[in-house]
Amino acid sequence: MFDRVRLRNLEEFEDPRMVPLGGHLFGACFFLMKLLPARFMLERAVERGQLGPGGIICESSSGTFALALAMLSVQNDYRLLIVGDWALDRNLRRRLFQLGVELDIVETAHPTGGFQLARLERLQDHLRNKPGSYWPAQYSNHDNPTAYSKIAARFIDVVGPVDCLVGSVGSGGSMCGTARYLRLLFPELKVVGIDTHNSVLFGQPNALRHVSGLGGGIIPANVDHTQFDEIHWLSAAEIISAAHDLHKKHGLFMGPTSGAAFRVARWWSDNHPGKRVVAIFPDEGHRYADTVFDVAWVAANIPNWTRTRSEEPITVPSPGVKMTDWARYPWGRRGLSEVLGDGLPPG
Amino acid sequence: MAKKRGTGKAIAHHGELLQGVFEDAGGQLLRGLVSLPCPALTSIATFAPNERDEVTVSPTFCEKARRAASQSLVTFARVRTGGHLRLVTNIPIGRGMGSSTADVLASIHAVLDYLGIVTTTESIMRIAVDAETACDSTLFKQQAVLFAQRDGIVLEAFRKPIPSLNIVSVDMAPASTVSTLEFQPAQYEPGEVEIFRPLRSLLRRAIDTGDVLSLGRVATASAWINERFLPKPRLRELQAIAMRYGASGLQVAHSGTIAGLLFDPVDARTPENMDLAIRAIDALGLSQRTFLT
Ligand SMILES: Cc1ncc(COP(=O)(O)O)c(C=O)c1O
Repeated sequence: MFDRVRLRNLEEFEDPRMVPLGGHLFGACFFLMKLLPARFMLERAVERGQLGPGGIICESSSGTFALALAMLSVQNDYRLLIVGDWALDRNLRRRLFQLGVELDIVETAHPTGGFQLARLERLQDHLRNKPGSYWPAQYSNHDNPTAYSKIAARFIDVVGPVDCLVGSVGSGGSMCGTARYLRLLFPELKVVGIDTHNSVLFGQPNALRHVSGLGGGIIPANVDHTQFDEIHWLSAAEIISAAHDLHKKHGLFMGPTSGAAFRVARWWSDNHPGKRVVAIFPDEGHRYADTVFDVAWVAANIPNWTRTRSEEPITVPSPGVKMTDWARYPWGRRGLSEVLGDGLPPG
Repeated sequence: MAKKRGTGKAIAHHGELLQGVFEDAGGQLLRGLVSLPCPALTSIATFAPNERDEVTVSPTFCEKARRAASQSLVTFARVRTGGHLRLVTNIPIGRGMGSSTADVLASIHAVLDYLGIVTTTESIMRIAVDAETACDSTLFKQQAVLFAQRDGIVLEAFRKPIPSLNIVSVDMAPASTVSTLEFQPAQYEPGEVEIFRPLRSLLRRAIDTGDVLSLGRVATASAWINERFLPKPRLRELQAIAMRYGASGLQVAHSGTIAGLLFDPVDARTPENMDLAIRAIDALGLSQRTFLT
């Protein structure tokens, strides 16, 4: 009934491998999760006439979304321009170059909006200078969360009815999209989101953060706060040691946001025996071999690395409090202004 | 010729467990559905040949059944044959219970019976879709199928038939009727079609494992998605009754007026829960009846 555009050569890489982690906890291990929303956004853009053959794609990203777009651009003959910042590590830069990506690295942060806003402003310049170019806009594009219907279906195929979904929140696409589709069938589903200290997504005051992939200095439109039952905040040190644990205990070499999901999901699962929990592990660890998985690098770059880590979260009275350790807040599927009271986002 | 006359029988359905848009094997999107069979209601067709070279039908308004019988003769009879087709049915009309499709299928079967021909389900479906524009999946009895009702093709065959269900059936708008042909099929937004992926997954799992609760969840979700296209008055009240009395789910005819509460026949509390639900529905002033499938 509809003629669909299909850019599916890399489709085999999209589905996660589902790994049982003991109890009723499953890890959804993605090769590179962003391949799915990137492919879905490009297909829909072609259908809408926003992206033509050989067209130019421009996006701001310092991580996996850039890599996913670059792989798809090579496969489908698009040109790609990425605006990034320091978080774009050397290995990733090398890969993007090899994939023919035009890279523009922003060197100075915006005085209030940080690097994220500085990148977005630079991106607007490029979009103006390259008429007809397409901006996927993963932070606000509804096709980002919509792409995750396929993941919800996969979870049902493997796990059956899901009781709890746990994962890190960046653009919000993966958690909010997957949650929305699962809730249609399982209205009692618990959704547990993970953010990091100093990220404004769920009400922390904006300040320096040490891990990328989750949290941020701007609240993306794709974060649907009303999907979340619980929010957890982890420090960079906790996130990184959790990634090490996931590797040591289960042999799964996954990125830091996977570690974060593992830490919180393990705790939630142990406290709710019999409930079927799925944790989203968005990418593999190779990209972080020289950083997150290099203990010398971590000791030199991550604050409080040697501090003993808490076994469980402290439930905080409000999301805006000063956090040093693993914190948890019963969000209760409310909107951001409803939780923060004053109706104003922080930071 | 083998016989003096032929008879055929087809069953009704109680709407659909799931209806929407689904990917075929090549990834293209087709409209599809999974009918909920209702064997208690049937259409029976009798075909008797005569000297004329055309087919006549009674009741005379069963034009689509006449066309289907006629097309079956053109396809399968070795000599040009006319005759009279008679239909007797207890399937309510215009409720979304497949009365017209059942007439069509019963008529095709009656002609095949008369000719002494056994053919494939696929070729029967093709004639039915030609006569009827759309068709349901009641013909597939050994295993449930996800059926592209406008293309007459099976998108997916499940491993088992739909598990037995107890249905409390309610006509939500007794005064109105919906015609399959006149009813404008749902116009889904491109993003909206993604909704059906997880529903299809849970339905497959529910049928393969005989899980009536999951089946009910799929039916409920599909019923609510359909509200945008063919709203049913008082569906919210019916849903409240379903929840209060432990129904596995709410289920509707996506192009009709009936809705059903699905109960698990294996659950020991079902008879009592059904009694209570029936009383609550009576109290709403809606009429109901029970089907055991
Ligand atoms: C490694 C990694 N994990 C998790 C996320 C968060 O996913 P989402 O953007 O869907 O919220 C991202 C987002 O960029 C990421 O790169």
